[in-house]
Amino acid sequence: MSLAAIPSRETNAASEGRRSAALLERFTPLMLLTPALAIAVVFFGLPALTMLRMSFNLHVDQRLFVPGLTFDHYGEIVSNPLFRGAVWTTIRLALIASLVTVMLGYCFAMLTWLKPRRWRLYLMGLALAPMLVSEISIIFGWWMFFPKNGLLSYALVSTGIVHEKISLMYTEFAALVGLTYLSLPFCFFILLSVFDGIDRRLLESSADLGAGPFTAFREILLPLTRGGVLAAFSQCFIWTMGTYATPTALGPDALWTMGLLVQEQMLSKHNWPLASAFAMLLVAIIAMVMFVARSLSTRRIDYHD
Amino acid sequence: MIDTVAAVGSAPRRRLGEASLLAAAGWAFIIFITTYMLIPVLVTAVMSFNSAAMVRFPLSGFSLRWYAGFLASPLWMDALWNSIVVALGTTVVSASAGILAAWAFSRYDLPFKNLLYLLIMMPLFLPGVVLGLGLAITFGGVQIAGVPLYGSRFLVVLGHSLWAMPLVFLLMEATFRTVDKRIVEASGDLGAGPVRTFFEIVLPMVSTGVFSSMLFALVISLNEFMMALFLTNRDTQTLPVLMWLSLRSAGTPNLAVAAVVLAVTVFASLTLIALWHIRSLRRA
Repeated sequence: MSLAAIPSRETNAASEGRRSAALLERFTPLMLLTPALAIAVVFFGLPALTMLRMSFNLHVDQRLFVPGLTFDHYGEIVSNPLFRGAVWTTIRLALIASLVTVMLGYCFAMLTWLKPRRWRLYLMGLALAPMLVSEISIIFGWWMFFPKNGLLSYALVSTGIVHEKISLMYTEFAALVGLTYLSLPFCFFILLSVFDGIDRRLLESSADLGAGPFTAFREILLPLTRGGVLAAFSQCFIWTMGTYATPTALGPDALWTMGLLVQEQMLSKHNWPLASAFAMLLVAIIAMVMFVARSLSTRRIDYHD
Repeated sequence: MIDTVAAVGSAPRRRLGEASLLAAAGWAFIIFITTYMLIPVLVTAVMSFNSAAMVRFPLSGFSLRWYAGFLASPLWMDALWNSIVVALGTTVVSASAGILAAWAFSRYDLPFKNLLYLLIMMPLFLPGVVLGLGLAITFGGVQIAGVPLYGSRFLVVLGHSLWAMPLVFLLMEATFRTVDKRIVEASGDLGAGPVRTFFEIVLPMVSTGVFSSMLFALVISLNEFMMALFLTNRDTQTLPVLMWLSLRSAGTPNLAVAAVVLAVTVFASLTLIALWHIRSLRRA
């Protein structure tokens, strides 16, 4: 019975069907990829090229742009002290915020890893909060915390720590608190996944061999998490470079970041070429950071191999 | 002899001191991080029940007047509606495109795999202000059947999908790797075509991955406001955009209500999808 079934599969119709099935098989991946690629090409690739081209266009007579080829907008970013300052401010804020975030996130993730299981859910839920709440809601929360009539001032005055109402609103400190708050979850989850990959018995054996907690940290945990720290730092840096709402809303008026300038040139000044030039510069810095972080982490792997 | 005993005894004692110091530091850190993480959330929640017209502490009294005001305001309710429509659109677009692409990546050998991967993942690493600017200047004057694309919810959905789709893709690619290839082949040998195999065999196996990636897409879209700020107009602005614009003019307890409503929307949709997922698991 089964022997008879085999030759019957070799009929013309069946082989025809197999051929079309094979054809279908060949084009299936293409069809599967089409929606994603269409979105990526039309709504990301095309705008990216348009922006690149736009940054070389002219901006004359208050028109959005005039087709042309000029490097003036890049030149303006370098020569105008206001713009140059904004680039520097953006990088400085991102550096400080990422450093603080990585240190906080490291302690946070390490504690979550070390604490007994029942703590884990609580600490992870805590870290998840800023991810589920919109950036704008967080900004508004801090906006009510820092000013003279805010919660901080009220709490400090009513407990008698200070006698006059104080305001930390519109300071660089407030901006950094907001930035750190928003990038901490990314950092925490990257580092937690690295810690989870470490065998906890390493700590026990290091203690058995006589190493104190600080030695164990320096000699075991730090080297094992170096790659994670690098990834977390670059992720934080990229994220803080690109956001401008938090520093704009919480920081001083003079705290100009590149993101703010993109928005300002686009929505208020209607200078599309200059906005594009700023955006391209932002992309270039982000790409550079990613490239450096990547090459550093691969070198580390090569070294271990 | 006594000296040796003392030397042996002092090292563990010192270590004990170090350990209790570390434990204390650990507790201090947990208290600090709990306070830090909860301050903006709790301040907003409390302020939304404020009875005064001003944002100031201490509160003068509790009332629901700002909630009533929010529900009665067509401006805020329209913004909420826009947010929900855009979020649903983003979920559908990014989940279907991302899941199909992830299946293609894990099931088939593709040419230029690294390049395709980079193209799909790249937008995830770019700031919203850059993506929003690019979309705005590219599609600023484009019309489809007489309807301008710029300012439409459609463009915002595609903008949000630039972030949501790579996340779905990343998550689903990892999930599909756990699928036993032999089951897929067995389904083919038994006569099911690739389409039927995908929908009847593969998708049910990875339903948890599908469910979490849809959550990601939904939450990202509901909370995003940088791209939406660039791409919407007065009629299509989402709730976070309206909140940002109001904060720039004057902050009132109204904003706290909007923040609470937005958070409730996020949690409500999380719960809905979770319930739907549990029900579909039970049926299967």
